[in-house]
Amino acid sequence: MQVKRRSFVCVLFFGLFWGAGGFAQAQPIRVVTTIPDLADITKQIGKELVEVESLTRGVEFMHAVPVKPSFVPKLNRANILVAMGLDLEISWLPALLEPASNPKIMPGQPGHVDCSAGITVLDVPKSVDRAEGDVHPKGNPHYNLDPFNGKVIARNIADGLGRNFPQHKAVFEKNLTAYLAELEKAVARWQTLATPLKGTKFVAYHSDWAYFASRFGLQQIGSIELKPGIEPTPNHLVGLVQKMQQEKVQVIIYGPQSDRYPKQLAGQTGAAVVRLQSTGGATAETDTYIKFIDYNVRSLLGALKKN
Amino acid sequence: MVFSVVQTSLVTVSVIITFLLILPERGLAQNGEIDSLRALVKGMEQQLQKALQRIDQLEKEKGTTATRVDQVEKSVRAVQSAPSALNPAIGMAIDATAEQRSKAGGTFNFRSAEIGIAASIDPYARGYAFFNGSGDGVEVEEAAMVTTSLPWNLQARGGRFFADFGRLAKFHPHEYAFVNTPLSLERIVGGESQADGAELSYLFPTPFFLRGTVGGYNKLGAENERLDDTNSRAWSRFTYLGRLNTYFDLSDNHSIELGTSLAYTPSIRIPSDPHGGSRTLSGLDLTYRYQPLSSTLHQGVTVGAELFGNSERVERDSGFRRMFAPGGYAYVEAKLNRQWSAGFLYDNAPSLTSPGKKTQSYSPFLTWNLSEFNRLRFQYTYGNDNVNESKADGGNQFFLQWTTTMGAHSHGFANR
Repeated sequence: MQVKRRSFVCVLFFGLFWGAGGFAQAQPIRVVTTIPDLADITKQIGKELVEVESLTRGVEFMHAVPVKPSFVPKLNRANILVAMGLDLEISWLPALLEPASNPKIMPGQPGHVDCSAGITVLDVPKSVDRAEGDVHPKGNPHYNLDPFNGKVIARNIADGLGRNFPQHKAVFEKNLTAYLAELEKAVARWQTLATPLKGTKFVAYHSDWAYFASRFGLQQIGSIELKPGIEPTPNHLVGLVQKMQQEKVQVIIYGPQSDRYPKQLAGQTGAAVVRLQSTGGATAETDTYIKFIDYNVRSLLGALKKN
Repeated sequence: MVFSVVQTSLVTVSVIITFLLILPERGLAQNGEIDSLRALVKGMEQQLQKALQRIDQLEKEKGTTATRVDQVEKSVRAVQSAPSALNPAIGMAIDATAEQRSKAGGTFNFRSAEIGIAASIDPYARGYAFFNGSGDGVEVEEAAMVTTSLPWNLQARGGRFFADFGRLAKFHPHEYAFVNTPLSLERIVGGESQADGAELSYLFPTPFFLRGTVGGYNKLGAENERLDDTNSRAWSRFTYLGRLNTYFDLSDNHSIELGTSLAYTPSIRIPSDPHGGSRTLSGLDLTYRYQPLSSTLHQGVTVGAELFGNSERVERDSGFRRMFAPGGYAYVEAKLNRQWSAGFLYDNAPSLTSPGKKTQSYSPFLTWNLSEFNRLRFQYTYGNDNVNESKADGGNQFFLQWTTTMGAHSHGFANR
């Protein structure tokens, strides 16, 4: 009787441990990303092994994301944090990481994946002085707007996932290869589609289009902002209108800023106005990285065509 | 005739013989030229080959030199930046006002020049400090260590810091939405919740944000002169704190934050009062925010309110008596566009000794953010003062405030 009871207890313990082990294995890898583009690419590489959530929705101005305490529990539970880096998230992410109490995902730790590693950075300032506005000392952080950089992002994410969960490395590499092939096809399509954009002169509200312009051959003539992060003065706008007329600027690009100045300038110069997305995820049309780039290329072509 | 025929034949034969004799010689001469040309071309080919090899060699050397130069430049840059890379982030905020008060007169008020320093100490802790210079001198406003890798969602803090009491008490005054510290906060809490001591925070493993803090300090409140901050004391004479803070997103654009705090000092020594007695300071804070995600740059509303209550034995005409003094403030601020915002502050501050007497003030304010780091603010305050602690508290008051920040200046999560 006693032997039976012992056996029963042993079986029960074994069952519990086995069950717990199985449960632990079934737990997906919790990944938190700062922007939806990174969430989409992480999903493509991690597939069913990961549970991904982006902190921002894709509609925010990346330099003015509200520091929401609701982000803190998400960061607290994350196995991996995937961020753009280059100080894109400087105004809100460090303030959230401190109360999140998760040493694994702090900068420099294996769980903190910085997607900017290996990016050829544009607009690196020669001197860092706030007289030049809210400059980014490390250079322009909006590199996700160039689909070629999408490949670097994907590589970094796959490396980050593999570094933290080496047992799944082969799966991540396989999924990465498939995703890169898909992205490659899309890039070839965009390069053909965007041929008419080559040489297009544009004015941007904020200087976040450098990578997009460089890839598709657009030429930025000026910015609505006086300096990065500084609203324009009337004199600056008068000068900008003259410059736009001289240079025959075709389009004004803005993002999550007010449309007041873009529309005003368009009225004065006859240039087209288009609101593009600087990150994906805002709508169903931009809910994947590929759809997001596609949306920007098509929206810009559409605006130029209408004009 | 015959002669001419013979002659012609002879001439023809001679020409043919001569031609036949000369031709091979010329042929031989041509062959020699070709050979020499061949030799020349071969020589040139060899020279060209050598030149190409030399070019290749030079290119390789150039590449190696460039790589070496690049490596040297990188090392020089690394050496140059290494000392500064380990330096803490340093920033400074300057805050000054021009004031006119109907009962106290006008002044240029140099309120604060605050130097902030922050850096990681090691993988286990971060340190920060704020040194504040004002008309009253220079003081260490905060200088604290915070852990960054404690297990079980714990975080410890020690040193001098703004204790986790309420919401606005943790703000440095230049970060307020309005010009002055509300009188209710100043009288009941003692201004900023500055304290020398230690705190432990715990982030509850809930799907929503819920954080609890416990702390122990010499005293709480920068302007709280009723308690001593330097001498050693019995356990009963420290101040102990507990706080719960939670937050909910009502939707993507609307959120609400709630907090409740209690600071308890078991025994306060009061000269000429043998009973001494305890002090209980309680607080309830509520913040509602409308932050439309797609237009946070130029739209948004914040409503903030706090209720405070202080219970302790105080000296009155009739002798020492325990009094409960409740008070609080509420404000609303709305962004008009990216640069301008406007708001209104209502403040209700009781006298701690005679809580029936109050100073009520009403303050509309208008803020112009020239940039993220440069701000001008105009505020009008009407004070209905029955407490008469200071002439400055009542009547019509006008303020023009200029606040700037330089370098890396952040007060982090607490000042959101």
